[in-house]
Amino acid sequence: MARIARTRLHGLILAVSVLRVLVSAASAQTDVAPDLKFRSDVTEVRLTFSTTDIHNHVLATVQPADFAVVDQDRVIHNFKNFSRTEYTRLDIAILIDASNSLTPQFRQEMAQVVELLAQTRGVPDDSVSVVSFQDLKPAVVCEGNCRTLAESQFPVVRSGGLTPLYDSIVFTSRILAGHTDLHARKVLILFSDGMDTISQKSFTDALDSAVDHDIAVYSIDTSKKPHTSQGTSILRSLCVNTGGRYFSMEMGTEQVVDAVLKDFHATYTVAYKLPTQAMGFHQVQIFPTHDLSLQFHCRRGYYYPANPEN
Amino acid sequence: MKRLLLLVVSLCALSALLAAENRSREQGTIVRMRMADCVAAQHPFMNALSGSNRGPSGDVCPEYVLVTDKVVYVIVGKTSDQLVPLAETTRFHFQNNEVLIRLDDARRESRFHVKEMVLRQTWDRNQQIEEAQAAAAHHRADESSLADAQPELRAARR
Repeated sequence: MARIARTRLHGLILAVSVLRVLVSAASAQTDVAPDLKFRSDVTEVRLTFSTTDIHNHVLATVQPADFAVVDQDRVIHNFKNFSRTEYTRLDIAILIDASNSLTPQFRQEMAQVVELLAQTRGVPDDSVSVVSFQDLKPAVVCEGNCRTLAESQFPVVRSGGLTPLYDSIVFTSRILAGHTDLHARKVLILFSDGMDTISQKSFTDALDSAVDHDIAVYSIDTSKKPHTSQGTSILRSLCVNTGGRYFSMEMGTEQVVDAVLKDFHATYTVAYKLPTQAMGFHQVQIFPTHDLSLQFHCRRGYYYPANPEN
Repeated sequence: MKRLLLLVVSLCALSALLAAENRSREQGTIVRMRMADCVAAQHPFMNALSGSNRGPSGDVCPEYVLVTDKVVYVIVGKTSDQLVPLAETTRFHFQNNEVLIRLDDARRESRFHVKEMVLRQTWDRNQQIEEAQAAAAHHRADESSLADAQPELRAARR
């Protein structure tokens, strides 16, 4: 009995010693590890864009010779790659301004949202979300499968409500960013007059949030006099800088859905060598090489970090 | 006979004129583009008197860097919407100290102020220095971010 116990004790001591040796070897390895440096460099920029002609019709066929990219002032003609974008699905979030400023037009806005939902027939059921905003923060009306959303489920406008537009754009961008399908084109359809009264975030934060997550903003301007409104220029800026488009409410939702679907089907991706290692935000624009009536819609740029791993 | 002679002389004059125009036309490549302050008019005093000087108005106009074999021109448009196609080859010529660029699809020519002229060799060297400085700054930032991260990594491992 005592012999068996001694043997077990020896076994235990041996096991502990082996374990110690292994642990010390592992710790020795971790002590060496900090001296290793892993570097990675960003050498290629990929840009997704769509093209419209003078009549604002989407061009289905574009050639590399039709455009030049301007990245940080540098004009780029030589592309590493040019192809149709491999998007296989659309991921749409509809953001509704339910604040007090829109009370007179709210019924029309809701009718257009319902119409818009009905028109998204080509989009899979699980890809349409609806978010509304009023008072202090945005709220998810429904996420994912919103096609069958009834008008009664929409938010009710309360008088005196505030307008956290920028906070809501950041909020909705994060929802879309959470859907991690690389082959989905992310689209935010914004019903708003472009005015913000309470947001903690700024216009730049809202824009950056959409740009960072590669979200195209399509806005439907609900203001009464779109051409004279300050909100209109804000909406236009959001759309232009994210590769989306601007529409006034009178144009109807059919044109919006049409544009979203056409952009989805006629989107190209161009890749080019990073033109300069200047750190910070690289502003990007695409210009025609011969036909000045062409307009190219793409995100406004990207951040080139000090450490590309970030 | 007199008429025939006149016709021959006119044809010769016309061809000489066309040849001269072709010779005076240059070509280059636009390698940079940005929106910059519009160039103030060339006679500020006279313009100020006439009330047409719009220098400090804060308007922005397109500015292009046009590279030719020997000289690099920095040219500025006169209005914010004076865009030129960014083709690989841009044909231009000079007239009254201005650069005139013919747009492919239009019969008109677009006029630009010349803001700066640099020899191609000097410009190339400046570009190389600029790029080296950007790369060095990037490398320094990369080193410092690694140095900042190392104590945290060690602490995490302990």
